[in-house]
Amino acid sequence: MVRLTIDNQSVEVDDGATILDAAAKLGIEIPTMCFLNGCTPSTSCMVCMVRLADSDEMTPACGTIAQEGMTVVNDCDQVRQARITALELLLSDHAGDCMGPCQIGCAAKMNIPLMIRQIAAGDLDRAIATIKEDIAMPAVLGRICPAPCEKVCRRNQLDEALSICLLKRFAADADLSSPNPYKPKCAPANGKRVAIAGAGPAGLSAAYYLARKGYACIIFDERQEPGGALRYEIGRDQLPGDVLDSEIAQIIRLGVKFQHNTRIGKDKSLDKLCKSFDAVFLAVGKIAAEEIEQLGLKAAAKGIAVDSNTYQTNRGNVFAGGDAVRDGRRAVRSVADGKEAAIAIDQYLSSKNPTGPERPFNTRIGRLEEDEVERFKACAGDAARQTPADSEAGFSAAQAAAESSRCLHCDCRKPDACKLRKYSHDYRVRPGRYKGPRRLFEQQTQHSEVIYESGKCIDCGLCIQITAQEGEKLGLTFVGRGFNVRVAVPFDRTIADALKHTAKKCARACPTGALALRQEVCD
Amino acid sequence: MSEQLDPTFADRTIERLGASPDKVLEILQAIQDHYGYLPQEVLEHICEATEITPASITGISTFYDQFRHRPAGKYIVRVCVGTACHVKGAQQVYDAFHRYLRIEPGADTDPDELFTIERVACLGCCTLAPAVQIGDITYGHLTAHSVGEVLDDFLRHRQTVSAKKAHAPAATDGRQAEIRIGLGSCCIARGSGKLNDALNDALEETGINALVKRVGCVGMCHQTPLLEIVLPSNESFLYARVQPEDARSIVLRHLRPGGLKQRISTRVSTLLDDLLAGGDLPAVTRYSIDVRDKPVADFLGKQKNIATEYCGVIDPVDLDEYISKDGFKALAKCVNVLDAEAIINEIRQSGLRGRGGAGYPTHLKWAAVHDSDSGTKYVVCNGDEGDPGAFMDRMLMESYPYRIIEGLAVAARVVGATQGYFYIRAEYPLAIKRMTEAIDKCRRRGFIGENILGGDFSLELKIVPGAGAFVCGEETALLASIMGKRGMPRLRPPYPAHKGLWGKPTLINNVETYALVPWIIRSGGETFARLGAEASKGTKVFALAGKVARGGLIEVPMGISIREVVEEIGGGIGGELRFKAVQVGGPSGGCVPAKLGHISVDYESLTQAGAIMGSGGLVVLDESDCMVDIARYFLEFTQNQSCGRCTFCRVGTRRMLDILERICNGQGKKGDIEDLRQLALKIKESSLCGLGKTAPNPVLSTIEYFRDEYESHIDKRCPAGRCKALITYTVGDDCIGCTLCAQHCPVDAIEMRPWEKHEIDSEKCVRCDTCRRTCPEDAIKVE
Repeated sequence: MVRLTIDNQSVEVDDGATILDAAAKLGIEIPTMCFLNGCTPSTSCMVCMVRLADSDEMTPACGTIAQEGMTVVNDCDQVRQARITALELLLSDHAGDCMGPCQIGCAAKMNIPLMIRQIAAGDLDRAIATIKEDIAMPAVLGRICPAPCEKVCRRNQLDEALSICLLKRFAADADLSSPNPYKPKCAPANGKRVAIAGAGPAGLSAAYYLARKGYACIIFDERQEPGGALRYEIGRDQLPGDVLDSEIAQIIRLGVKFQHNTRIGKDKSLDKLCKSFDAVFLAVGKIAAEEIEQLGLKAAAKGIAVDSNTYQTNRGNVFAGGDAVRDGRRAVRSVADGKEAAIAIDQYLSSKNPTGPERPFNTRIGRLEEDEVERFKACAGDAARQTPADSEAGFSAAQAAAESSRCLHCDCRKPDACKLRKYSHDYRVRPGRYKGPRRLFEQQTQHSEVIYESGKCIDCGLCIQITAQEGEKLGLTFVGRGFNVRVAVPFDRTIADALKHTAKKCARACPTGALALRQEVCD
Repeated sequence: MSEQLDPTFADRTIERLGASPDKVLEILQAIQDHYGYLPQEVLEHICEATEITPASITGISTFYDQFRHRPAGKYIVRVCVGTACHVKGAQQVYDAFHRYLRIEPGADTDPDELFTIERVACLGCCTLAPAVQIGDITYGHLTAHSVGEVLDDFLRHRQTVSAKKAHAPAATDGRQAEIRIGLGSCCIARGSGKLNDALNDALEETGINALVKRVGCVGMCHQTPLLEIVLPSNESFLYARVQPEDARSIVLRHLRPGGLKQRISTRVSTLLDDLLAGGDLPAVTRYSIDVRDKPVADFLGKQKNIATEYCGVIDPVDLDEYISKDGFKALAKCVNVLDAEAIINEIRQSGLRGRGGAGYPTHLKWAAVHDSDSGTKYVVCNGDEGDPGAFMDRMLMESYPYRIIEGLAVAARVVGATQGYFYIRAEYPLAIKRMTEAIDKCRRRGFIGENILGGDFSLELKIVPGAGAFVCGEETALLASIMGKRGMPRLRPPYPAHKGLWGKPTLINNVETYALVPWIIRSGGETFARLGAEASKGTKVFALAGKVARGGLIEVPMGISIREVVEEIGGGIGGELRFKAVQVGGPSGGCVPAKLGHISVDYESLTQAGAIMGSGGLVVLDESDCMVDIARYFLEFTQNQSCGRCTFCRVGTRRMLDILERICNGQGKKGDIEDLRQLALKIKESSLCGLGKTAPNPVLSTIEYFRDEYESHIDKRCPAGRCKALITYTVGDDCIGCTLCAQHCPVDAIEMRPWEKHEIDSEKCVRCDTCRRTCPEDAIKVE
């Protein structure tokens, strides 16, 4: 037995145990990527770096044998900085997008690739659930959204972007016309009330997501009917009234109440609202500076001054979003504001400091080289971009199937299991910190169970160890040396030849999205 | 297997070498030797016929630089890009070969498949810089302009090589003299092989009875080929830079021809020679130098030969001569008189520290392996000298193989090992040849094998040729390589002393460390400790090269100052330029500026100055050397040689290089220097092995001492005029219109205009520096 201390906590471990083992015994979490129980530590990724206080040396915890009297430091700036640098260096040589460019381009950050795969699989019930996680009114947006997601679609570099907006409309229309449209599970009523000023896209969206979290919401609006700009500014030819009505009906189904013909500041004072409600969300559309000041709020260049993450105004329990805080007049932006403000209001009312929505970590490939785009096509259909029969009609089922099959699946197959992403998020690293030549996006799709993308590999060699241990005849190996080292199949064979019976085990062991299970069906 | 490939060769190789997984490297080397590359179908066949797996054979064959996976041209041209070659224009030479042979961009072989051009980290012929090796012939002092001549010479030589005749050894009785010529790699590259032939011809023709004896490296590489005539009176005459055509004149100057007939015919032809040369042997006097001449005295005066004892005197593979000069006395003492504790104590008293670079006390290492409880132990000699700019170990192995064997045998005796390995890099064919020959002779004479010198000590030795991976100089990588794996370093501890080859305790020391051992045992540890500095005892062998008048191999007591080495031994920079810095320790070392020339050459002082002792390469730099370019050069080297295991080294050094390349290309921006420094410190702190931990040193030391040069580059100026993207070549008013530059320009960037001032088309100019070198008027300006 040897006794050592980690962050001043003393622990006794068996001879031959590593610092990582000792930390685990103390319940201290040390990040690891290239380490796996049952495999020899490869001391490659170097995110498990710790400091040995006596020699003032940095060492990887996974491979360092604990010695009697060792003083290990895990929680200090030097260790933290080393881990950050390791992660940033790995990201600088990482050809992968955590999230598809479409999702990043979408103001509402909807998980578009997932929706597309669900549509492709014919699973419209799950598709609408995916959509409504982020967009309260997809049938409406499916008709009026300028679709920034399509402008950044990687398929543009090949032929034409996916018709994302119409796919979303297809799923939303199918849902609305079904006998039992999607109704999300709402949290039980929490007894708190939120007043929302304005029944436009931002207000409706906020009400939808607050209701899902168990808040009682009343929307005050100066007009006769709900919808705001959607109803009163957009032509009926573009957005038929019945579509708007039935989508608003889905929001009302969650228990949201309306009070029409009431303009806050005129018919009802903000002070009064603030007193009788736990929080107020102002989504009143374009508003003049004088009016803002009359409400006791600070004005910014483009509307009410708010914190850009939390939508909180200078009056603590008053939040604002949509065109009331910005120029732009984009419905999707307003819908996104409503959803994000709902998150911040929930944080505020749960007596937490509002921080706004969690921004998931994302790294992106950036511009693709010519042949990289071609490689992306391996998993995608060949069909040309589909167009509906006429401008008012949406996709037919056949068209939706054909269109959705065109998706390149740019997003990672392991967005949640990827340790590189997890630690990059935890350590708040900057993915663009180091720039320079990087590995190229490559894809091996010959295997029926897994897909191998060497651009996402961090050269930990776990899969190589596993294939050797499990007696794969061909297996995997390192090819080359140094910066150009790659995990590859010997003799230029395919991944299908390499992984005869270890594919799933390797994919599970792979700390990134380099080796991942196929997601032919649904996520 | 396809019909062109001999299907039985692989089988015969396996039969000869064995089929176990650890044989993979040897098998691959045999395959490569046979086919010139590694045909995939042969590799697949090997996997079927042996226990070697496809994963292993692929991993190993792509790790080492030596292996090719596609056919090469008939001859390989290895352009040395070592430090000394780099500062003397190796890149221009490399580019020139490509241009001359019309090799397509991205390809490495000419359209006729005659020549394949490769870069090689260092040929260890630094005093010949820039050097290339074509086939097995080394050429030195190339310029972009001379590549054509060199290739022609090589092809001519190929045709005549078979016509060489053998010489009968001269009779020992009545011998008039001993004629010594250096036959180290450098000397051979400078023509000592041809000189050897010419001497033998001259002796045969004149009937003079003299022994032409090859000796190891003399160290005075700047004067090669060297020839020394030693008369029976022990009077000796030293000639430098001797050409084959001078052989006869030199012989006749000191020795009398044999029979009457030969005397008459010699007289006649000498007369003819005199008439043609126009005087009394003027061609010879030009070469004659004397040890008492000041430059020679300076070069040799401060030296102390221990590892290089009998330098220039002893025949490298003559075992009897070695024995006659106290050879194997130390081993005999260790086998018959001293016990392990006593030997370790002697080494401890000597203060000997590892000469491989880190300077770990040798006695501690020996004691650790000695104390390790195991029935099987190994000793290893690290001869994988890979630092560009270093050639000490090559020279020691070529010149004193017995001394190294004896040192290693003593170590084996101490630690209780019965099996030893010499890991020698493949770029040193002569060293491998001489060590092999020496081991064979030792085995025949009972210095290795069973019951050595009649005692109970037995030792077997084996040579493992490296396969071209610098990182294998790191001890754990080297051991992996001996075991037939990719040369990847691993985390220490466990140290090899506890867990080395095949998990057994293994002693691993550098060539020079072993070479010092016999002297220490013979003369006593205390005698050794009287030499040198405070904590760095004894002598150190250095390879002195670069911008220095007298380059070569020197052995000096530790504690000598850098300035003494450069100015007294090396004779200063020569020419009009000033001494700027010394690069010490190669890619793991740093640049010590001229202002720190007073510091002592010992482990601690060099480390404190931001360099390291390393294996002992000293490359002298002058004002025309760009320090940013030097830093970039070294980082490019280490980055290229990284094994790829840990993130900091694999990706980190690449990102450092990105920044440096940007700076050298004139795309540097504010903040780059600090970014570079910060990243360098992190890599130094967190890399897994010595390669990564020291790779940032050249960058950190140049930022420390020459930050202004970095800043100039950010301002898009290269003060030394070296960085291609930041300089332009122009013709100044001194141009006399001789058209030489236009004639020699390889890319027609200069129009020929007789008697007029010429102009250089900057768009076409490839900055090969040929015009500046050819201009007789120094009219070409570089700014």
